[in-house]
Amino acid sequence: MSFWDKMQNMDRRWVYLMVAVAVIIPFFATPDLPISITPEAQMLYDAVEAVPDSSTVFVVFDYYPSTIAECEPMAISALRHFYRKDCKVITLSNIPLGGPSMAERVTREIALEYDKVYGEDFVNLGYKANYVAVMSGMGTSIESIFPADNSGTPLSELPMMDSVVNYDQVAFIFEIADNATADYWVSIVNAQYGIPIGCGTTAVSAPKYYAFVGAGQFVGLLGGMKGAAEYELLIGHSGSAVLGMGAQSLVHLLIIFLVIVGNLGFFLGRRGKSGEIS
Amino acid sequence: MKTTIPVAVAFVAGVVLVVSFFFDEGTWVGGISQEFKIWMTIVGGFTILLGAVSITRVNWSAVQRKKEGWPYKLLTLISIFVMAIPSVLPNTWSPLFGRDVGSIYDWLFTYLDSPMMATMFATLAFYIASAAYRAFRARTAESTVLLVTATVVMLWRVPMGEAFLNMFPGDIPNWLNTYVMNGANLAVQRGIIIGAALGAASMSLRIILGIERTYMGKG
Repeated sequence: MSFWDKMQNMDRRWVYLMVAVAVIIPFFATPDLPISITPEAQMLYDAVEAVPDSSTVFVVFDYYPSTIAECEPMAISALRHFYRKDCKVITLSNIPLGGPSMAERVTREIALEYDKVYGEDFVNLGYKANYVAVMSGMGTSIESIFPADNSGTPLSELPMMDSVVNYDQVAFIFEIADNATADYWVSIVNAQYGIPIGCGTTAVSAPKYYAFVGAGQFVGLLGGMKGAAEYELLIGHSGSAVLGMGAQSLVHLLIIFLVIVGNLGFFLGRRGKSGEIS
Repeated sequence: MKTTIPVAVAFVAGVVLVVSFFFDEGTWVGGISQEFKIWMTIVGGFTILLGAVSITRVNWSAVQRKKEGWPYKLLTLISIFVMAIPSVLPNTWSPLFGRDVGSIYDWLFTYLDSPMMATMFATLAFYIASAAYRAFRARTAESTVLLVTATVVMLWRVPMGEAFLNMFPGDIPNWLNTYVMNGANLAVQRGIIIGAALGAASMSLRIILGIERTYMGKG
């Protein structure tokens, strides 16, 4: 068996070990990496900057806990950006599995940094089933769809919601999603009510949403952990996404290296075999 | 009756929601439409309840009959009820109930459910690396184009890779963003989105008109 044949049949556990090392090392020796800002992230930042101070905005937690590493840094940065502008933040989720809990925890954590008070500066509407009806119904009346917040407090008892009836009072929607709910925010809310929507999504979903950015239906886009890192830099508050860039860089480079080695082995091994036959 | 009533409900609900799109929210059509949307969220809630009942019946039956893997099914049932029961009890009884920060549900979600789901998803990195090494081959012209594009996009999406690409002349990262992501990718994605939307519209029309009845378990 030639060297290349051995490489082709390498035990996959060696690959797993290499990935583990590539993930772990950067957390001990953090490299200082220059992170460039993509036009889509800059557009999103500029659109949020253009939202008038003290406006009411939505931050939507449409992601599952499985993608927390990519999506939560986006949510944290978005909240910091809105709180800094003294915006009133309404959070909700179309994901039954943990969305409202993540919104509750993250929003309250970041609110402490800016002395924001629940019910006056931010409200968590929680989850309601059937997101198409939820998105569409809030166009007429938010209270008819969400009579109470995530904790069961009637919206009529929350001072912030006194002046918020429907989308007419909402200046911006920051959608953070790892699934197709982002499509419906475009087709139902942006298309029918004209609310500007910015989207943060996982790296695997991001290519699809370039089409919405190109059509002006999303005012900007954050793709994966890199997008989250870009937004952290834009708001001047580095967090877990910037920290994660080292591990992601090394793993990407490792995968590229493995693809090259795999292809070299495939072609050189095949050439060797055809030589033996002749 | 079993067929006629669901078809009639689907027809009325579908027509009202389509027609209401062309009317102002303040009109009676808009009012009916809003009422329908509230009903949809209520019906959606019952479908979740139906799912919970179904998963309980299936797993409990397997536990009772001691089918293969029954301890896992028992664990599933325990997990469901340990999370669900405290979360539906009112938090006025105790701060441990409900879904607020500090409740039993929140603790289980934050420290068990969430890390376990993130871990499961993270293991993909290992499988992707292994699969890329074994299966990602430049066997044909098409697969070579895919391989080269994937490689340069992967490089571009991380700081180390971008620094490497910037060592070459001609702003490669900007070129990739303009011509690959906002060019070829955008065009293809737009085609897929429009195609899927047309398919969804035609399927919706078939359901509203009662042509498509597979949702009732009929062909």
